[in-house]
Amino acid sequence: MTGYDALVEGAITAGCRFFAGYPITPSTEIAERMSNRLPKVGGIFIQMEDELASIIAIIGASWGGLKAMTATSGPGFSLMQEGLGFAIITETPIVLVDVMRGGPSTGLVTLPSQGDVMQARWGSHGDYAIIALAPWSSQEMFDLAIKAFNLAEIYRNPVIILSDEVVAHIREPIKIPPPDEIEVVERRKPSVPPTEFIPYLPEPGEWVSPMPAFGEGYNLLVESVMHDEFGHRIGMGQPIAERKIKRIYYKIEKNVEKIAMYEEKGLEDADVAIVTYGSSARTSLKAMKDARNLGIKVGMLRLITLWPFYDKLIEELSSKVKSIVVPEMNMGKIVREVERASKGQCKILSVPKVGGVLHNPDEILSAVKLAAR
Amino acid sequence: MIQEENFEHILAKKYMRTELLPHAFCSGCGIGIIERMILMAFEELGEEEWKRTVFVSGIGCSGWTPLYFRSDVAHTLHGRALPFAIGLKLAKPELNVVVVMGDGDSMAIGGNHLIHAARRNIGLTAIIVTNMVYSLTGGQMAPTTPEGAITQTTPYGNIEPNFDLIELMKAAGATYLARWTTYHVIQAKNSIKKAVKHKGFSVVEIVSQCPTFMGRYVLNKSDPRDIMQWFKENSIPVSVAATKSPEELKGKIIVGEFLHKPEVMEYTERLKLLRERVGRR
Amino acid sequence: MSTAKVRQIVVSDKLCKACYLCIWACPWGVLEIKEERNWRGIKKPYAAKIEQCRACRLCELYCPDFAIQVVVDEEEERKILEVEERYERKWFDRLKKRDEIISKGVWWL
Repeated sequence: MTGYDALVEGAITAGCRFFAGYPITPSTEIAERMSNRLPKVGGIFIQMEDELASIIAIIGASWGGLKAMTATSGPGFSLMQEGLGFAIITETPIVLVDVMRGGPSTGLVTLPSQGDVMQARWGSHGDYAIIALAPWSSQEMFDLAIKAFNLAEIYRNPVIILSDEVVAHIREPIKIPPPDEIEVVERRKPSVPPTEFIPYLPEPGEWVSPMPAFGEGYNLLVESVMHDEFGHRIGMGQPIAERKIKRIYYKIEKNVEKIAMYEEKGLEDADVAIVTYGSSARTSLKAMKDARNLGIKVGMLRLITLWPFYDKLIEELSSKVKSIVVPEMNMGKIVREVERASKGQCKILSVPKVGGVLHNPDEILSAVKLAAR
Repeated sequence: MIQEENFEHILAKKYMRTELLPHAFCSGCGIGIIERMILMAFEELGEEEWKRTVFVSGIGCSGWTPLYFRSDVAHTLHGRALPFAIGLKLAKPELNVVVVMGDGDSMAIGGNHLIHAARRNIGLTAIIVTNMVYSLTGGQMAPTTPEGAITQTTPYGNIEPNFDLIELMKAAGATYLARWTTYHVIQAKNSIKKAVKHKGFSVVEIVSQCPTFMGRYVLNKSDPRDIMQWFKENSIPVSVAATKSPEELKGKIIVGEFLHKPEVMEYTERLKLLRERVGRR
Repeated sequence: MSTAKVRQIVVSDKLCKACYLCIWACPWGVLEIKEERNWRGIKKPYAAKIEQCRACRLCELYCPDFAIQVVVDEEEERKILEVEERYERKWFDRLKKRDEIISKGVWWL
């Protein structure tokens, strides 16, 4: 299956029954396959008039009780930032797939890049936290689609899947486990009647409260203005706003250990570590094998969760190795986070690659040789 | 005898969030009258219809209208009330979705969504509150500001021609169109009842008074009673307007029911037919 | 002995914003503006000639603030209290519950 097909199948397995999208290369195939599959499983597909309407429509469908998803690329992702902020302040679970392509602006339409990784975290205005996942194969497109829907329901936050054009178009065999081995998290409904339910005040020890749907009699107030625990707007009132902003920030940032996923290869005796993600990891694997053949002790840390960034992991890694190499298909973005988290304990080398092509393994190999000296 | 200190009207006690009253609108604002029109319409439609109704609104003075109702309400972004309502209606087609927007919210930044929602003929009821300016931000020009008016962003007089929403919606494909002012309370209430019952996309435009900005800037009347008198004298019913020439109609407000086409199929019904067709294969 | 057909015209202190649309709407001249200001600082309208009132309810129709109601008899007064009991009062408990929880401090700060 191609990466697209795996993503769509994973989403449908996780329970996604609403898709609103707009055609944009290279994510058009996701919308096309969804338009084919969703009516057959009782879901709804609609092609909206632009990306702004797409993201707001999936937020509306999420409050109607369905699991919803949209897919876009660079220019559309820039348009969706306002809607993303709306989903964050109202604590709506949605999944957004960004198939990164060469930028800026209309850019290199059919070629890959990893240039949106910072925009995924800091793109919308205001203070917030977000979860972003980076798959590197078709199998991972399937697995991470299910994981994305689960994380969205658990934390009541949007989750972004940062694929790139290569991973989306690649055709590989995937293995779909039987249904009883797949874990799907369903939405939590309130257990108290409407006259006792407070929508934005969770129980002690929990980060989010249960989420009813519209039309069930709970008299919900879904509000984009800063609001209090019932959803009533507040014009001023620093304590109320501080409570809300800190809760939606900490619910992700303080749960890094539970959310973060990563893969380690050969780091037990390594002097040099390659920290990478997405398609760059595929090239780095070859470079790592070449370097090992030359006698350099190289290991690889592949980040699957880009945000929230796992600071402690990088800090421990940088205390054990001599230097870290960070190859990326952009001008050097995640390398800044690695530099910050390593606290100067080792050398950091960035290997940027722009222009719409993957790295050549020799480029990464020469950086590794430079780092090992 | 009832105490006058904390009294609220019986409709407010039944349908509104009284813990938030008095509401935040200016003294004499037409939006309070529009809230009354909506509540009277639902009082006559019955409790079953009220239980199935949800409200979606945009940003602006009119966007605060449904927040005072005790029902499911979504207060969305500027201009994006209609896509939210479309997503909600598709997820739960049995709900009555009423969308309350202002004139700048629906025709300027939300213009694209308005014409596509009308094209799809999706079962929403759009109540568009026209007060000829952007009132919440302080009285700037809107797509419905008359030519020559002086507002905060047109200090030398407005040079832009303005929209006729009814003609726009006719061309886009909406199937129930009506326009009233806040002077015509009973007629607008009947139109809202008909619009909620109508299956397709219905638009009820209500021209409302804004004593603080539209009254002072556009009409030179700062008392809401004078603006109501102006509405009363300058509204012409649609059947009478058909017999008059364009010069006589300049500066007047044409009110009435313009269009009612119940035979056009609504979007969620088309979707249902599609799903049955695909499921059978 | 009054020949009034209506029992009372209630104008709320909490809600009235002194726009006087009710006075403009009344065809019979029943309402007039009070001389003194109330605790909110406004001069409320009141029923000066209540025996002229025919209960047409145009004042209610044009009030933007839901502040005025023409109570014709005891039946209507009873209905108002019944609606308050059935629809309004049960929603005030959760306000108190929230205030209690917040005053003790939320766990994530």
